[in-house]
Amino acid sequence: MTGLARAGKTAFLTSLAANLLALGAGQPVLPGFARRLGGRRVQVALAPSGASGLPRFDHPRHLAALTRDPPAWPERTSAASMLALDLVIGRESLGFALPSQRLRLELLDYPGEWLLDLPLLRTDFADWSAAVLRRLQAPAVAPHAAGFMAFNSALPAGATADESLAATGHRLYRATLHRLRDAGLSLLQPGRFLMPAPGPEPAWTPFFPNLGTGGLESLLARRYAAYVQAVQRDLQEPMFGNLDRIVVLVDLLSALHAGPDAFGDAAAAVSAAAGALRWRRSWIEAAWALGQLRLPPRVVSRVAFAATKSDHVAERQRGNLAALLRNVAEGGIGDAPDFGFAAAVPTSHLAIAAVRCTEDFVWTLDGRPVSAVRGRRIGDERLLRSYPGEVPDRPPDDAFWAHPFLQLPDFEPLRPPQGGRGGVPELGLDALLCFLLDDVL
Amino acid sequence: MRVEPRIELEEEPAPRLEPPLPAVVAADTFAPPRTGTAALALLGAVVLALGLAGLSVGNFVADQFARATWLGWATLGVAGAGFGLIGAGLLREVRALLALRHVDGLRDAFASGNAGRMMRAAVSWSHTVPGGATVAPALQAVNDPDAALALLRAGPCRTLREDADRLGRSAAVQAVAGIAAIPSPALDVLFVGWRGVRLVREVAALYGVRPGVLGTLGLLRRAATAATLVGAASLAGNTAAQALLSSPLLAHALGDAAAAGVAARRLVVLARATALACDPVPPG
Repeated sequence: MTGLARAGKTAFLTSLAANLLALGAGQPVLPGFARRLGGRRVQVALAPSGASGLPRFDHPRHLAALTRDPPAWPERTSAASMLALDLVIGRESLGFALPSQRLRLELLDYPGEWLLDLPLLRTDFADWSAAVLRRLQAPAVAPHAAGFMAFNSALPAGATADESLAATGHRLYRATLHRLRDAGLSLLQPGRFLMPAPGPEPAWTPFFPNLGTGGLESLLARRYAAYVQAVQRDLQEPMFGNLDRIVVLVDLLSALHAGPDAFGDAAAAVSAAAGALRWRRSWIEAAWALGQLRLPPRVVSRVAFAATKSDHVAERQRGNLAALLRNVAEGGIGDAPDFGFAAAVPTSHLAIAAVRCTEDFVWTLDGRPVSAVRGRRIGDERLLRSYPGEVPDRPPDDAFWAHPFLQLPDFEPLRPPQGGRGGVPELGLDALLCFLLDDVL
Repeated sequence: MRVEPRIELEEEPAPRLEPPLPAVVAADTFAPPRTGTAALALLGAVVLALGLAGLSVGNFVADQFARATWLGWATLGVAGAGFGLIGAGLLREVRALLALRHVDGLRDAFASGNAGRMMRAAVSWSHTVPGGATVAPALQAVNDPDAALALLRAGPCRTLREDADRLGRSAAVQAVAGIAAIPSPALDVLFVGWRGVRLVREVAALYGVRPGVLGTLGLLRRAATAATLVGAASLAGNTAAQALLSSPLLAHALGDAAAAGVAARRLVVLARATALACDPVPPG
């Protein structure tokens, strides 16, 4: 499961686990998935963590946050963790004499900022610096990056490897990244500058993009290489090396509110991250692995794109949201390259809400009935009615940006039935599961 | 004309929202064929009883005509009245069963995703329920199935659910009072059972479904399915029953009558489950 920061990964995992556990307990949840099982009995349990080096996803704590009064959203993820569920599914008709089918779902939670470190694995320091500095000169970004760009351009090309220069440039660049994140932009690298890994910062941390030719550039390039090695060691190999199906969570609605630059930036960021994952089998890698008596590395066999927080718009707009996601993912927009794997792997585009917060209602605005939503905001006991605007079904044009798309309110989650034992209210999670697991069910 | 987006805060505080109740799965989705062996045998017995009785009565009427014409007409009148009443009863049963089928049909229509079919079902249902007439013109005007469903949910559905809840609470009060007054536990069970069946019929009548004996049985089966599906209903029932039993007067009269509390809770849940079974509009 991948997704940029604030896309809702932790809430997604919490809801998925709660609903699957409720399904195993015979509760009427995930109706589409239950239909796909065709009446077969399913038992679900949290899998023991065994000797895994990854911390276990703290499902009970996150679920308790959603169920308590007043509720709270799961805290921002600051370290990677793993959720593993064991599914035991009974056989049907003639296969009843066979042993039950056993599936293990392993899902990773990690800070969304780190996802954008994956493309760095294939990029050297000079190329990365050139790309970052080009982006920072774009009109929409330049005002936020003025301090860093002034410092960087004032550095002589042959600057010597001075630690104070490296530290100052790093501080300015890091502050720029924070400002850009606050402005709603997403393609922010390196991810650990925004969300550091737990523990003390390594000595190679202070670097920044630079196109010089002297000792400073050499120092920064060595530190960049150390960073990339750490990403490969801590993130890519243990977590992304063994994937065979992926859910990409995208918060398109917030991007629609943030404006054309942030929307294009979010699409570019998701595209870059998805492009860094292994989509096609490499015969050379497979032969190399077999030569070492290992199984060939896995490739992604299914990918589901999910537009999250779809309960923030009314039901009739969720179809548009899924269509918009399809258009963004398949066609690419602006500078964002397309994902390029549409023909290679089965792909689905859905509008979901892992944790539902609102109910639909008809709002009469300016004398016309409009499908809208309402829910309580966190910390407020009154209902808030929201009609943020029409969701386009294709990448928005200038006419769309001429009108505002309102910011999504911070709604509180619906009360999960039976303190969470009856699942977590959701939208579209069953369709997502059906697609992802269709070939193994 | 473009509608400007907006966000507005309502004036009154509201309780935390709860998920909509799950739609009732038609009871026969995974069930064996509707006509089982026992049903076939029962149907045969009814045909034999009514058919043979009819033939005997026919012979008897012919004999009476042989004795005297006036005697024959009188016998025919009596036989016609008796069989007419039986026929009227059967007709009522068939109509009640058809009404239940109609609810299932509407539910299918709403779930079909076909805009035209959904709109026709919405308009058709609005004509059959109390309060539906008030939204009928709006349904014609919006011509949008999502908006139509939302209108139905906000208008007639909400009113009907509230009325069903009221009936459930009223039955619960009666059950509590009855249990307090009845000296024998065996009679308690009979009393609560009778009140439950009556409650099911009352709630069904509220929704325009007037069940006979077979209709009530069908409804009870659907209500049982709904009750097992509705986890939230038991929570709601708990809350309602607790509110009921926290009345100082009842607490004084009942002391710790746990059975009364359980019965009251079950009746409140039964009212909700029956309302769910009679309501074709899917939850929003």
